[in-house]
Amino acid sequence: MKSLHVEGDTFLHRLPPGVKLAALAAVSLLLFLLHSPLLLAVAAITALVFYAMLRLGWHNSWQRMRMILLTIILICAFTLVINSPMDAAAVFFRLVALTLFAATITATTSTGDFIEIVTKAARPLEKTGLVRASDIGLAIGLVIRFVPEVLGRYQAIRDAHHARGLKPKALTLAVPLIILTLRNADEIAAAIDARGIRGQK
Amino acid sequence: MSTRDLVLAALFAAIIVALGLVPPISLGFIPVPVTAQSLGVMLAGVILGAKRGGFAVFLVLILVAIGLPVLSGYRGGLATFLSTTGGYLVGWFFAAVVTGYCSEHFVDRSQSGIVQITGFFLAALIGGVVVDHMLGILWLPVVTNMTLAQAFLGDLLFVPGDVLKALIAALAGRAVMVGYPLLPQRA
Repeated sequence: MKSLHVEGDTFLHRLPPGVKLAALAAVSLLLFLLHSPLLLAVAAITALVFYAMLRLGWHNSWQRMRMILLTIILICAFTLVINSPMDAAAVFFRLVALTLFAATITATTSTGDFIEIVTKAARPLEKTGLVRASDIGLAIGLVIRFVPEVLGRYQAIRDAHHARGLKPKALTLAVPLIILTLRNADEIAAAIDARGIRGQK
Repeated sequence: MSTRDLVLAALFAAIIVALGLVPPISLGFIPVPVTAQSLGVMLAGVILGAKRGGFAVFLVLILVAIGLPVLSGYRGGLATFLSTTGGYLVGWFFAAVVTGYCSEHFVDRSQSGIVQITGFFLAALIGGVVVDHMLGILWLPVVTNMTLAQAFLGDLLFVPGDVLKALIAALAGRAVMVGYPLLPQRA
């Protein structure tokens, strides 16, 4: 699994991740308060300038954006039909600006930095006793580690269907996939505890 | 949360991510293929319960936020939260928690199969359809100029598919409970 982060040394890369996220929050709030298509167009162009500074290239950007662009176009078409063209323009520019600003922050912040932020943000949650902040980083590592295994298992179950001339169905695929995957939980948990990764106990 | 619970949540998050990467599967009785990721969210609640299921979906959302393209169609990054479907995405977390909470209360190991399936179906319906769609509808007018009524009408298009997913989640949830029971029991 490849992250959407892009290596680089622009001033956006060097900004502390906390500042970037706070700025994104402030900008998105502002974008929701604006309703003039003209001002929103200015915002969208500004976002485009920031995004262009990353020099991702057309092909790469298209790969990243096509699904979101599709939903934006659908929503704009819908707005055009039920409201006015001015409304549709405002919606279009607002969504484009939001998407580009957010994608810029995503591309300039590394996964490690994000995990650090998430861990910091989760500290107050510790008081509720629901989750330990340091567990989040560990769990994220586990998810990334096991996605390829789950995919491999899915493939194997699919092949088993084909070998028996059965059509793969949601139910007959999901149940063995879930049971086979979750059955590893005890072993993995024992391995984590044996290495003392979670500290105490 | 014990290490085992943490691992179970992480493994389920991996399953939800993997469901977004595999090609859409047919549901068996209708010819329309569906993306299985929102099915995974209901399954997390039905199989793991409120706390672990909620944590599993929370992990998926964190992965999205930190820029991994883990949603179906190679989507990811902060932009997906701010896009038009952001409400449904955040709603996943609440969907899993509510589905899990209802499952824990509706379903008991001593019940007969059909009662268990009905309980899981109602739980997935309340969490995965009502709660998730409600949050999705509430978010749409914030990013677009739609009124709530218009957002509601547009949303109705996606309800039948998700009701069907709730049914599959119920059948799968019961099958997993028989094979490998994990759901915490509460009276």
